[in-house]
Amino acid sequence: MVRIGFIFSRSGHLAYLSHLDMLRLFIRALRRADLNLAFSQGFNPHPRLTLALPLPLGVTASNEPGEVYFDGEIRPENFKSEIEKQLPEDLRIIKAVPIEPDAPALASLVEAAMYRAELRSLADLKLENRDQGKLIQNALETLLQKEEILASRTGKKKKISYINVRPYIIEAKSELTPGGPAVLKLLLKAGSRGGVSPVFLLSQLALESGFPSLKADCWNLHRESLYFQNGETLQPLSERM
Amino acid sequence: MILQGEIMTLIKDKLESALKKVQKPARYLGNEWNSVHKDHHKTAIKMAFAFPDLYEVGMSNQGLKILYESVNAHNNLLMERVFAPAADMEAEMRKQNLPLFTLESATPLRDFDLIGFSLQYELSYTNVLNMLDLAGLPLFSGERDGDAPLVIGGGPCSFNPEPLAPFIDLFILGESEEVLPALLLNLAAFKESGMNRSDMLKQFSAMAGVYVPEFFDPVYNESGILEKIEKNDPAVPARVVKNTVSDLDQAPYPTAPVVPYIQTVHDRAVVELFRGCARGCRFCQAGYIFRPVRRRSPEKIISIANDLTAATGYDELSLSSLSSSDYPQVDELIKEIDQALKGDQVRCSLPSLRLDSYSVELADRLHQGRRSSLTFAPEAATERLRKVIKKNISEDDIYTALSDAVAAGWQGFKLYFMIGLPTETNEDVEAILKMCRDIRGRYSGRVRGALKLSVSVATFVPKANTPFQWEPQLSFQEILERQQILVEGFRKIPGIDFSWHDAETSFLEAVFARGDRRLAPLLEKAWRLGCRLDGWSEHFSFALWQQAFKETAINGAAYAQRHFSYDQCLPWDHLDCGTDKEHFIREHKLAYSGHKDGGSN
Repeated sequence: MVRIGFIFSRSGHLAYLSHLDMLRLFIRALRRADLNLAFSQGFNPHPRLTLALPLPLGVTASNEPGEVYFDGEIRPENFKSEIEKQLPEDLRIIKAVPIEPDAPALASLVEAAMYRAELRSLADLKLENRDQGKLIQNALETLLQKEEILASRTGKKKKISYINVRPYIIEAKSELTPGGPAVLKLLLKAGSRGGVSPVFLLSQLALESGFPSLKADCWNLHRESLYFQNGETLQPLSERM
Repeated sequence: MILQGEIMTLIKDKLESALKKVQKPARYLGNEWNSVHKDHHKTAIKMAFAFPDLYEVGMSNQGLKILYESVNAHNNLLMERVFAPAADMEAEMRKQNLPLFTLESATPLRDFDLIGFSLQYELSYTNVLNMLDLAGLPLFSGERDGDAPLVIGGGPCSFNPEPLAPFIDLFILGESEEVLPALLLNLAAFKESGMNRSDMLKQFSAMAGVYVPEFFDPVYNESGILEKIEKNDPAVPARVVKNTVSDLDQAPYPTAPVVPYIQTVHDRAVVELFRGCARGCRFCQAGYIFRPVRRRSPEKIISIANDLTAATGYDELSLSSLSSSDYPQVDELIKEIDQALKGDQVRCSLPSLRLDSYSVELADRLHQGRRSSLTFAPEAATERLRKVIKKNISEDDIYTALSDAVAAGWQGFKLYFMIGLPTETNEDVEAILKMCRDIRGRYSGRVRGALKLSVSVATFVPKANTPFQWEPQLSFQEILERQQILVEGFRKIPGIDFSWHDAETSFLEAVFARGDRRLAPLLEKAWRLGCRLDGWSEHFSFALWQQAFKETAINGAAYAQRHFSYDQCLPWDHLDCGTDKEHFIREHKLAYSGHKDGGSN
């Protein structure tokens, strides 16, 4: 069995696919490419493909890792060229590399994610650009000063509990460009050991700003990179591959 | 042209902002794998295929895929898709003044030469009006000017299209994969020659299977009974005869259909084995309107199966038709398909299983995974009633088939029944309970874990062009009473998942299935009151429909429960489905022979 890791980007309208849509799309592309996919054992065998961290609906991305298993020989560069022919334009494979069979699953390595949020338009708010930046910066500062930001989680049997997600914000800053749109950079904990959704934080930000109509859908959200813990530091997962 | 460009940019901006706000935005993207994007400036005729239901339903329709293929195969023609927007999208579109657009190019519908509605189901009619309105077009055919797109309809409901007649310019009866491209090429020639709308319609009405309602006038007597439907133009044929594809091997077939991003109702590759059905169940409209039976050759089926899986990447291939196990030597065919697709990890499935041992054996061969449950449609629970509807399976057949299935390791069954069939009594309804109790009793101990049994009960809707077209639907009260027998009965049988169709929707379905042109104001009123997506229980409001009936002074029960006599004019009498009335009368009488009440006509 051959294990291949790959980095992909998604742009344009493909941002509107759910994680399950993405898996289906990749699997169908692999099947069309007629590559010798490896299947799981059991009653309903399915291809062994995983994406390191689900991409939220509406979010574009530039450095997303994934991995897939094949039966028999296949070179990463062949994988890349064959599958790209079967993918829509807005989904590109940036690189493909072999992964050691006993290396840990990519998904288990994810520790954090860096998002870039760009305010699309504040037409409804009737604010000048420079005021926008100020408004966002103030709201962000207020939000970060909080010791506790509660988010609801739906657990088993639809039981709702609340957890404090403030510790999951590793870094959050606003970038002001004169005349340009307001931009936020959010480095957030992510993956199986806990994390916070950027969409949730943007909705909290709207509440802090005093402009409840500044909803999460006013932003263009982009995931720049996923990180793993390398000793004391966070390092982009794509650099490990 | 610059103006056109600006409009397109504006639409794309608005669409962008709407996509951020709605549920399942991937319904509206239009750049799915295998979608066709043609240059609008290089095609003579542009058609929007409008499916009056949500994307997930429309994209499961094989007719859409066939016509998308047959039209787009022509260099000079283009077809793009549009579906009914979900409620949240509609609200966004109305708020932002975003006109209804096609998915492929975000082009407003009113910029097309022709809009074609696929009419699969009576409860999608309000969506037709809603889509015309969202497109910015007048609802009524007579109110649309010469610049407006031609609005046409096709699909099973066009066999009684009268309730929609005032809204639609023309209907195509029967199978359209050959006649639709011909009609569009004619439209190109007519437009080239500068012909006006009325002359065009006259020309079209000479084409096989094309029905232009404005050339026909219904005549009612003083008590409001339909007496006849007369043509009002000497140049128009008096009867419209449906189109039939003669050779399925030669007919266009989609071997590279659009592959949706989101999960649709039927999310798989489909190869059609044959069209039509020789069984002749008396309630079944599809069994009659798709006659005669025409088979695709095994060679063609296998070549389509290969092309489909290569072009889509689907992992399931449905061997579809009205009664797939009736294909001659279907077991041989399945073996050959398996051979051809070897190594591709593609599952084959049969969508419609007959209740007999042979079908169970087939299902068994096809199924490699967990044997959860098999689906069957006995339709009626007594042998007597099954004879009435010509669903000729005996009690023995049923239990032999179920025993075989259990022996082969299946864990349960899903059973479909109908209530309200002609001659049905309470005993027939109670027999459904008895049969399910028996099945539980017989097989409960013979499967691993508990026997899974789910039972779904629909209400009979008499449809045009069936031997039961003269029959009334049960009264509303009677439907509720018979459903009550089942609800109470199943409460006493543990472990059965019982569901039933709302009496309200079955009633409306009957009203429109047997309705005439006088229902158009009702439809318009219901839509204006806010009815849409009536096929979805979360949107359906019977209260609004009742208000519409009241405000238009239309008696719905008189339509649904009308008993037509053989010599009465039916609203669809001028439309020829290929089977003559004498045959239907004979079949109708046979349904009653052997029954103590005798024939009722």
